[in-house]
Amino acid sequence: MAKSSKDLVLDPVFNNNPIALQVLGICSALAVTTKLSTSLTMSIAVIAVTACSGAAIAAIRDRIPNSIRIIVQMAIIASLVILVDQILKAFYFSLSKELAVFVGLIITNCIVMGRAEGFAMKNSVGDSFLDGIGNGLGYGLILMVVGFFRELFGSGKLFGFDVMPLQSEGGWYEPNGLMLLSPSAFFIIGIFIWVLRSFKPEQVEAE
Amino acid sequence: MPLNKDSLANTFLIATLLCLGCGVLVSAAAVLLKPLQSANALNDRRVNILKVSGFSDEDIAEAGGVNELFEGRFKTTIIDLETGKVAVEECEAALNEAGKVVDEVVKNFDQIWCSKSKKGPVADKLDKKQDIAGIKYREKFSHVFTLTSSDGKIEKYVFPVRGYGLWSMMQGYMAVEPDLKTVAGLTFYEQGETPGLGGEIMNPRWKAKWEGKKIFDGNQVALKVSKGDQSEKPYGVDALSGATITSNGVTNMVKFWMGDNGFGPYIAQQKSGDSASSSDANQSEKDVDPKTASTTGDAIHRPAKSGINHG
Repeated sequence: MAKSSKDLVLDPVFNNNPIALQVLGICSALAVTTKLSTSLTMSIAVIAVTACSGAAIAAIRDRIPNSIRIIVQMAIIASLVILVDQILKAFYFSLSKELAVFVGLIITNCIVMGRAEGFAMKNSVGDSFLDGIGNGLGYGLILMVVGFFRELFGSGKLFGFDVMPLQSEGGWYEPNGLMLLSPSAFFIIGIFIWVLRSFKPEQVEAE
Repeated sequence: MPLNKDSLANTFLIATLLCLGCGVLVSAAAVLLKPLQSANALNDRRVNILKVSGFSDEDIAEAGGVNELFEGRFKTTIIDLETGKVAVEECEAALNEAGKVVDEVVKNFDQIWCSKSKKGPVADKLDKKQDIAGIKYREKFSHVFTLTSSDGKIEKYVFPVRGYGLWSMMQGYMAVEPDLKTVAGLTFYEQGETPGLGGEIMNPRWKAKWEGKKIFDGNQVALKVSKGDQSEKPYGVDALSGATITSNGVTNMVKFWMGDNGFGPYIAQQKSGDSASSSDANQSEKDVDPKTASTTGDAIHRPAKSGINHG
């Protein structure tokens, strides 16, 4: 059971990626990935919430009554999410406006709940914290990959800087409007899973 | 462990402690970060006022910041919506009566709060027929921002407007040319319409379609959002496809705020040029463009009674 810290952090990124293997947390991966800047903010927010909620829940795991354990987890996660939302509003107002309701929806992100119930309830504070960081990173990796392709092909930019000048602004690139719509995130996630499973055939589900 | 963790007593204990802990954390964050957040929100509204009046990011950078440019070029005042007259002191008194003490009332006045508070001194209930914009309670006082040149000439009026779309209250600003008939721009700083459909009200290309449109046909508000190519039509703006209710919401918003229950009385005052009587808080109004002042003939006829149910 005991894994090294390095495994705790790196395993969920490639070997046990929450989006690619467990297919959790898809909803927000569609919504916030039209731009890299919002993808990055969302990733950092999720890493912070998963790590801190994991640590907090692990710290009181021996005292949490079984009958209300899910509610206790939700309360802790929700408080942390509100905290993140408040901090974003105070220090990164324009980003928080773009993310709008999706920061609040981290509460319902299956990854956070999944790690709280599946890992933090059984493991030590330090391990749960690292596990949270790892799963947040795994989620963030997918968000960044999807955000990279969607922003590059959808609006010809990366982090808001022009990479491929658009025709409408006198350049040569005709943007692909589909990339700005949610379905494109599905395609990119699908291709990502395909590529990942070609390199790691053990992730393919048995038929 | 003194208590069995699954016992009733422990369940209550943990639940109580957890609620207390989380509550303290969340409220502490909300209270401590509130000043920063309000400053951000004010800044954001000012950016929108600047943008809707035609300033670019470069202009803001050149002037050394949003607040510098805004405070240097804009005059802010508070008017009584019913009479259309400047009413800073009356507004302050009404706010005090409603139990809200505000310092620097011209800067910090919050008309959305007034409307939400539903309190008699600061807001009037609208009946269904009047409430086309879906705001329920209309505040008695409103901000008006005027872009003023160095010799005191008003170059643009910016009015705060809002109306209900499909899902949300769309809050924004409408800039009007000094002739008080022509739209200079429309922008929204807060909305929650469907992204990609109604949310396109935020699209700069759609917002640009408002520039140069005429608001009034005679005394009636004629400007509206309609289907089909409206680029040649003086009173029409192309509707958003797949967002009929949002488009209608924008039409109703313009109709309400430019009408008799909105800024109609103020616009009439400005056109007839006798507005500088009630207060000296806004000197800019004394220097109305002579061209504007001469258009008295088209002044909107305001009904003797505004028809709002008081209280």
